[in-house]
Amino acid sequence: MRQRGLSVAIYALTTLLGAAAFLYPFWLPAAAQAAGSGMAHAADAPLMVSLLAGLCFAVLLLEVQGQGMSAKVVALLGILVAMNAVLRFVESAVPGPGGFSPIFLLIVLGGYVYGARFGFLLGALTIFVSSILTGGVGPWLPYQMFTAGWTGMAAPLCRPLVRALRAEGKAGEAAVLAVYGGLWGFLFGAVMNIWFWPFVSGPAGQYWEPGVAFFEGLRRYAVFYLVTSLAWDAMRMAGNVAFILAMGVPALRILRRFRDRFTFEYAPAVAGERSVLPATGGGR
Amino acid sequence: MIHFRHVSYTYPNAARPALSDISLDLPEGELILVVGPSGAGKSTLLRCINGLAPHFSGGSLAGSIRVGNLDPVQAAPQVMSHHVGFVFQDPEAQFVMDRVEDEIAFALENAAIPPEEMRVRVEETLDLLDLTPLRDRALSTLSGGERQRVAIAAVLALRPEVLVLDEPTSQLDPKSAEDVLSALVRLNTDLGLTILVAEHRLERVLPYADKILYLPADGSSPLLDEPRAVLAQIDLAPPLVRLGKALGWEPLPLTIKEGLRHSRRRAGNGRAARPRQERGAERAAGARTPFLAARDVAAAYGGTEVLHGLSLDVYPGEIVALMGRNGSGKTTLLKCMVGLVRPVRGDIRMDGRSIAGRDVADICRQVAYLPQDPNSLLFAETVAEELAITLHNHGLMARRSGQALPDDTRELLHTLGMAQHAESYPRDLSAGERQRAALAAITVTRPRALLLDEPTRGLDYAAKRQLANLLKGWRAAGMAIMVVTHDVEMAAEIADRVALMSQGEVIAQGEPAQVLGASPLFAPQVAKLFPDSGWLTVEDALQTA
Amino acid sequence: MNPATQPAARGDASIHAGAWAMWLAAVVAALAVGRNPIYLALILAWIAATWVAAKYVAGALDAERAVPLSPLHFGLFVVSVSALFNGLMVHVGDAVLVRLPDALPLIGGPVTLEALLYGALNGLALTGLYAAFILVNQALPVREMVRLAPRAYYSIAVVVSIAAAFVPTTLRQYRQIREAQAVRGQRVQGLRSWLPLLLPLLTGGLERALQLAEAMTARGFAGASTPTHDVWTQVSLIAGIALAAAGLLLRLVWGMSALGLATALVGAALVAGAVWAAGRRHPQTVYRPAPWRMREWAVAGGAVLTAAFFVLPLPGLDRSSLFFYPYPSLTPPGFSLWIGMSTWGLLPPALAMVGPALR
Repeated sequence: MRQRGLSVAIYALTTLLGAAAFLYPFWLPAAAQAAGSGMAHAADAPLMVSLLAGLCFAVLLLEVQGQGMSAKVVALLGILVAMNAVLRFVESAVPGPGGFSPIFLLIVLGGYVYGARFGFLLGALTIFVSSILTGGVGPWLPYQMFTAGWTGMAAPLCRPLVRALRAEGKAGEAAVLAVYGGLWGFLFGAVMNIWFWPFVSGPAGQYWEPGVAFFEGLRRYAVFYLVTSLAWDAMRMAGNVAFILAMGVPALRILRRFRDRFTFEYAPAVAGERSVLPATGGGR
Repeated sequence: MIHFRHVSYTYPNAARPALSDISLDLPEGELILVVGPSGAGKSTLLRCINGLAPHFSGGSLAGSIRVGNLDPVQAAPQVMSHHVGFVFQDPEAQFVMDRVEDEIAFALENAAIPPEEMRVRVEETLDLLDLTPLRDRALSTLSGGERQRVAIAAVLALRPEVLVLDEPTSQLDPKSAEDVLSALVRLNTDLGLTILVAEHRLERVLPYADKILYLPADGSSPLLDEPRAVLAQIDLAPPLVRLGKALGWEPLPLTIKEGLRHSRRRAGNGRAARPRQERGAERAAGARTPFLAARDVAAAYGGTEVLHGLSLDVYPGEIVALMGRNGSGKTTLLKCMVGLVRPVRGDIRMDGRSIAGRDVADICRQVAYLPQDPNSLLFAETVAEELAITLHNHGLMARRSGQALPDDTRELLHTLGMAQHAESYPRDLSAGERQRAALAAITVTRPRALLLDEPTRGLDYAAKRQLANLLKGWRAAGMAIMVVTHDVEMAAEIADRVALMSQGEVIAQGEPAQVLGASPLFAPQVAKLFPDSGWLTVEDALQTA
Repeated sequence: MNPATQPAARGDASIHAGAWAMWLAAVVAALAVGRNPIYLALILAWIAATWVAAKYVAGALDAERAVPLSPLHFGLFVVSVSALFNGLMVHVGDAVLVRLPDALPLIGGPVTLEALLYGALNGLALTGLYAAFILVNQALPVREMVRLAPRAYYSIAVVVSIAAAFVPTTLRQYRQIREAQAVRGQRVQGLRSWLPLLLPLLTGGLERALQLAEAMTARGFAGASTPTHDVWTQVSLIAGIALAAAGLLLRLVWGMSALGLATALVGAALVAGAVWAAGRRHPQTVYRPAPWRMREWAVAGGAVLTAAFFVLPLPGLDRSSLFFYPYPSLTPPGFSLWIGMSTWGLLPPALAMVGPALR
């Protein structure tokens, strides 16, 4: 129980610090200004913050897999990740709105059905594998992995809502997940931009100008975002929503059909000469 | 070596036990064939030997099992992996790495074998299975047979004393299957490894098998004895054995060589070689225009030309078997005929009209095509829904609105023996049933031609027989049927005409007796026993004898 | 290790994944620190030299993993976009080129040469990052990258291996399904068309995953059914990131650079220790580990050198030239010979790949 509490603490802390690291261009200059230290170390801020984000990611990853991954979970993750990576290449094969990506379907549904840890790994590793296979590894990778991981990790939060709506197995369930997936699809694009932002706006320097404060940074980012990505991300969102709406019910049915088979455990019969055995299967 | 005492096993959520009260003693160092109808529990029995049942699949097990001096249920698979190697059916679904050498090392890395020893073990395993030339290859570039050999190597690296294989060749073509099986025979004779193999292709392994273990479908106690003794009591057997039993040959022949001793003697006393009845006779009489005609077709697949000016006709009311080694262009020809691959030269005519410019969906209302893997077709919740989806695709039925299927569709399911499965989830059916569900889904539009790609792959004897009867029925109804197959016995049984392909050309076509009977590679067993007789199947030989 | 048994396809130009990782880290550090155009030009030149050596001399780049956007195209696009954006948004600087009417929201005001130039420099730094990552990505096989993961992440490394191994299979499956659905009359139109493609792929994948799991179990892969780490590991993980974050705040916000750095390093060390401890519970060996030879020492040493000069406040080194700042009016960038020469630390990979070709 104590371990479980610590796990939750690790999830919360890494998520909090990760998010803060993502958003540093907005709060850091203002904070530094308020503390009166000016731009003494503004230059290595991006580097330090990226390292912190990387550290958080490593810790979260270790915690998520540290509680035991059976052969079944490893195999299932591997194959779903492969499938998602393939969907990421072939996404142009079937018409859909620009920026739309079918990978969010499995990440959201996988996390929703198989749990937060599974969802986190499915999301983060999907991005990782498809990036190394297509040569798309870059400094943005941890940011994308974090975001996609959070998408899957937070998906089980939809469960109470679905239960409240009494929508299990019905279209309402898919609708809840579609809205959820759409939101994250949107965030996914925004995160990518935040990564670019300090580079596009120059390393720290420019908004340490007197009078250029927190809100000025936000205002500029808003313009940048509006110009470069809003339309794209909005289409992504619409695509995700429509896609999960269209696929959600049957795909959930398939995932649930298999859930039992992935969690069977051997419980030795009490009667007879058999002694108690540890089970190797299941154990998610 | 391996002992079962009153073993019963039930899968989770299963109503009936998969194994009930099995007692067995399997000797050390022998090659044991495990046979029996589908659903008799062969796979389950094999999985008990290394503890996968019950450790992997859950469920409940009673009785006791011993392998050497270990109890697989106590020891669990991680320990058992060093004593029992297990190879599975599907060569695509047992690999973790993408390179041959790394795959073989995986289990060793995992077992923390020291690097120096690991190096030695990987080298010797590569040699044992002749994989040295392939050691750096990516697994995705290997053929099915090569992959199965890698799978065997990957478990042998742990140096088990027992090797267990669950239908290792059912997804392979005959040449690859032969490679895998001869590797097994070598491992057994050279190393004295105890081998248990569940197998449908008895022809190849029978001569080398020390024992046959037969599991009956009704759950009665299994049969374990010398091959001849078991074969005499069961009816799952290759044509040679069936013929030998029918004609009372003693001792029962297991190889063509043994069989020839009997058949020569028989041919010696008054050769009764009446040619087999011409089945294509009625077709020749009413020789009409072909329903499908390929004229001088050249086609490219993945940038290289695989068909070079090929011509072939399929008439209504006949079955054409298209044979040839892998990569000779058979599948590409089928894909050309339904428009999935467009010829770069030449023309394909359907019912006298060229199919050029017509889309696949349009062509496929008239020509049904069953791809190699029927699973890729099936995705609905029930078999009936699968049919409704096809009808809807062709605009023959409104969007799946829960409306009942048309009556003639119900009749189709009945013909296919699937009526009782109309409401089943297709993926839960057996391989044979799944194939018939897929057949139903593509023939529900009442097409006039049917093209099948390797339909016997992965089917047991019973399912093959059912398929043969089905095709014969459709032929009688006037359908034009073409089957791409490696299965010579199947071709001998159903084909009116055989076309042999090689390197993108048809190199021979004609009556099966001419084309198959003369070929050392494609001759069925009966033709080998009675050369020049024109007989191809056991029935041919028995009718005339 | 006997060189004759090395995989022939990779030739003798291979460089250990760990050395590549250090090189990459040095590039990132050097590019992230400042915008001095002279250093920037040097770094970009060395990245380009490495690219040429890898692609044209050693033939070490995996063409199958080539990105759709080459670094050159990426650079053209990013440099122009970022120059334009900066020019339109930042109205600081003396050399006014055009004056947009103030009435225009957001972009109204003077457009200055300084702002345009600074934007372009930002774009160049981004391009350098992009090129370096793409280069390493294509030069390293997936297997080598996976092996770089610490042992504590063994399960995840296996997941990645499986995924990479199953991509070709899944792609083939996907094509088969498309054909199978086409022959039963499916016409591709809109999002609903995904249903018959995705569902068989998903079901088939789940079935295959079960088979694979069974095969892995039969080969002794037990995964970790019990937790691989205990309460102490968890506590040190929490303490580690908390300290790292505190150190970062101390350094960046309150300007206590030395104390901040020290705190952050202690935090990072705690995390590293926990990862190491967790790894010890995975007894597992490596088959034919990639060798660490002279060239790897050279690459690693060079990377450390470059990074040190760009990041660390070395005694006696004037670091002011790192921070080029064009406002309010353009001044020639400063230059420190030591820092300039330290960029040569990025060259060993190129030399290591050219070397065998010359011999």
